[in-house]
Amino acid sequence: MTETLFEKIWNSHVVVERENEPSLIYIDRHLIHEVTSPQAFDGLRANNRDVRRRDLTVATIDHNVPTTDRSLPMIDETSSTQIKTLEKNCKDFGIKLFGINDPNQGIVHVIGPQLGITLPGSTIVCGDSHTSTQGAFGAFAFGIGTSEVEHTLATQTLWLEKPKTFEILATGKRKNPFAVTSKDIILSIIKQIGTDGGTGHVLEYHGDAISDLSMEQRMTICNMSIEAGSRAGLIAPDKKTFDYLNNRKYTPKNYDELVDDWKNNLMSDTNSKFDKSFTIDVDKIEPQVSWGTNPAMVSDVTGKIPTPEEFGQNNEIQIESAKKALLYMDLKPDTPIVEIPVDRVFIGSCTNARLEDLKDAAEIVNGKTVNSHVGAMVVPGSQMVKLEAEKLGLDKIFKDANFEWRESGCSMCLGMNPDILKPGERCASTSNRNFEGRQGSGGRTHLVSPVMAAASAIAGHFVDVREFC
Amino acid sequence: MIGNVIKYERDNIDTDVIIPGTYLKIHDYNELATHAMEGLDPEFPSKVKDGDFIVAGKNFGCGSSREHAPIALSTCGIKAVIATSFARIFYRNSVDGAFLLPIEVDDETYRKIANSDQLEINIEKNEIKNITKNETYAMKPFSEIIAKIIAAGGLFKYKK
Repeated sequence: MTETLFEKIWNSHVVVERENEPSLIYIDRHLIHEVTSPQAFDGLRANNRDVRRRDLTVATIDHNVPTTDRSLPMIDETSSTQIKTLEKNCKDFGIKLFGINDPNQGIVHVIGPQLGITLPGSTIVCGDSHTSTQGAFGAFAFGIGTSEVEHTLATQTLWLEKPKTFEILATGKRKNPFAVTSKDIILSIIKQIGTDGGTGHVLEYHGDAISDLSMEQRMTICNMSIEAGSRAGLIAPDKKTFDYLNNRKYTPKNYDELVDDWKNNLMSDTNSKFDKSFTIDVDKIEPQVSWGTNPAMVSDVTGKIPTPEEFGQNNEIQIESAKKALLYMDLKPDTPIVEIPVDRVFIGSCTNARLEDLKDAAEIVNGKTVNSHVGAMVVPGSQMVKLEAEKLGLDKIFKDANFEWRESGCSMCLGMNPDILKPGERCASTSNRNFEGRQGSGGRTHLVSPVMAAASAIAGHFVDVREFC
Repeated sequence: MIGNVIKYERDNIDTDVIIPGTYLKIHDYNELATHAMEGLDPEFPSKVKDGDFIVAGKNFGCGSSREHAPIALSTCGIKAVIATSFARIFYRNSVDGAFLLPIEVDDETYRKIANSDQLEINIEKNEIKNITKNETYAMKPFSEIIAKIIAAGGLFKYKK
């Protein structure tokens, strides 16, 4: 019987499986951060439970951290309390923590792969929806809530309903692979399958257009799989995957042996059956810009803001939601995307703040200056990314162009730290969600790739980045 | 279970409007609840009554994994969210912590239920009775798995 990659990973992690019951699934890696873990530790204490596998559990602090000078005391007391709570919980329960001043600190989904904690064929959970990022390594990686965080801490297992499988075949070749990025591929996919197109499914991406992508680009695709409602994103590992994970801080000692095993097993069998499938031809994809308040409300950069009727196509609820989105975003139908001005530019987040993202953005920025009406910042995805970028002199390129160069963290992706939009401000953001108020109450988010964000910072409005290269 | 409806005629009501990110630092549930639905309806905490139900369109609770979302609604008194579909993490969080019932209905039922209607939800019969309109609707039955977690009173009580 043929099996998909997801089914192989699932089957190799089943502890208990009975008909009409959830399956008990073993969890190989549990990443935790300060926001979704405090109540889980409270629960352990209240029930006198311990952490079952502290050796498989790793913590970092990313959502609340200030991205400015960290030698200064934190101003926000509630943030400071949440950080101190995680520090105490890790100390009390003996969990490895990459704390606020640790050189390995960073956004949890960025540091997992960078440290070699993420491994092909494994099950990985974190109390964070964008855990799906790590599916790029051929792992079943998915976000969980705090009750499930507590359950994982206590048992290293989870009761799960088996997701269905959804094949996304990406064919063709991008015409301009510098300007048309993996962010544009995933935004195009979400635009077409919708914000709930993947509900109940694991999206498995394959095809030449996926093999062609670097590991960091693949992570962007899997990261935003959750925005299509899916359980996880998954890409079979290949040579690029094995090379990326080689010689990392926590790469297992018997790595070569593992790679031999993965090479032979971690792929969907030929002719394996998926519950759903979708094909996208990347030849036709242009740089994308979101115009609305969910990640399916997206347009080609050469396009215009659609009318609610064009967007909704006879679906009254969709038409109504487009009307509300345009009102919130203060945009009028038929406005060319390139005529929309931006006030702020945010290059950061678990979606697009890895080294390649910063290198590409810097290439656009090099020798130019941010438009005088625009406030622009770069927030590296981890302190390791920051250090590597500085070694390449990228910090200087950004700073010379009037970008702020910050310490790593989630930052303006979700506005839990002081990095927020003011009401009414419009932001070109490399993050993953354009929900109302996501980047600050009343803030207006347009999702774009790092090169598109960089180009719009220079121009002061959205531009077709292909004109910059 | 009887309660009154607070209806939002919207799809994709995301976790950032249910409880904006800036409040995820709050540890106290009662304080968290004062910010429930703030991104969409700042009046919500003052108008919601214990036992009320939220009715909304598809993909309710999309976005973040924050369990704060069902916690904030539940602490305000919301006993069920009735929607045409749910995002998976919100759905599981709702039942894992026994915060509220996520109930799926079809589009027609969603259209028929109006704001302020009084409903009686009967999960044994998979039925929603609209007391105000004297109508009865079918709800999508919970899967056996979810029904068992609900009956147990949450993930930790399940198979204890």
